[in-house]
Amino acid sequence: MLNTQKTLKNLENSIIKYMLFADIAIMILSFFLVDEPIPFIVGLVFGSAVSALNFKELAVTLKRAVTMPPAKAQTFATTKYFLRYIVTAVVIFVSIVAPYINVIGTIVGLIMIKFIILATNLFNDKHYYQNIFKRKEDEPSGR
Amino acid sequence: MEPITGKALVLACSAIGAGLAMIAGIGPGIGQGYAAGKGAEGVGRQPEAQGDIVRTMLLGAAVAETTGIYGLVIALILLFANPLVKLL
Repeated sequence: MLNTQKTLKNLENSIIKYMLFADIAIMILSFFLVDEPIPFIVGLVFGSAVSALNFKELAVTLKRAVTMPPAKAQTFATTKYFLRYIVTAVVIFVSIVAPYINVIGTIVGLIMIKFIILATNLFNDKHYYQNIFKRKEDEPSGR
Repeated sequence: MEPITGKALVLACSAIGAGLAMIAGIGPGIGQGYAAGKGAEGVGRQPEAQGDIVRTMLLGAAVAETTGIYGLVIALILLFANPLVKLL
């Protein structure tokens, strides 16, 4: 049980660490590619900070949900999802209304976690690329 | 009765569009709940696999959650920073 929690904590920390690296890379790029880099960077930091907090909250929710009866876990996870959704809505609304926050930066910060998870857990696997064009029918098992 | 102006029509259609875009937010909620329920079933059946189950579910749920954000962004931009009104 303790080992399980440690593994999950390591996963959370590694994803947030990658997110920080990606943030820094995008910040440096924004100085060359964006007309007004400061509002973009503020938005990026704002969006990615909320995204990281949402991710942590998701981990806590799922850790609790798996110890519940299935029907209760379903309701619990859905309720928590909508709470996180409202938080995200408030964040996007604030970034639209506030002139010192670029909304594109916030959106990039919010959805960056998806690309980080895909890059670190799916596209870093050599077998994924090897099997991508392999037909299931050609496998020896024939299924 | 006043005639409907172009701006009013665009704003009304944008509001309908925003409402339709918000439907995208329901899907991940249902999906995440379903995954959590199945995860709880899995842990009940095989408690020693809890770590793997939660780990996989966490990554899947985080990826699924961003899909709802796309719809939310479209809806909020249509409502509060409508780019279509400027085209009139």
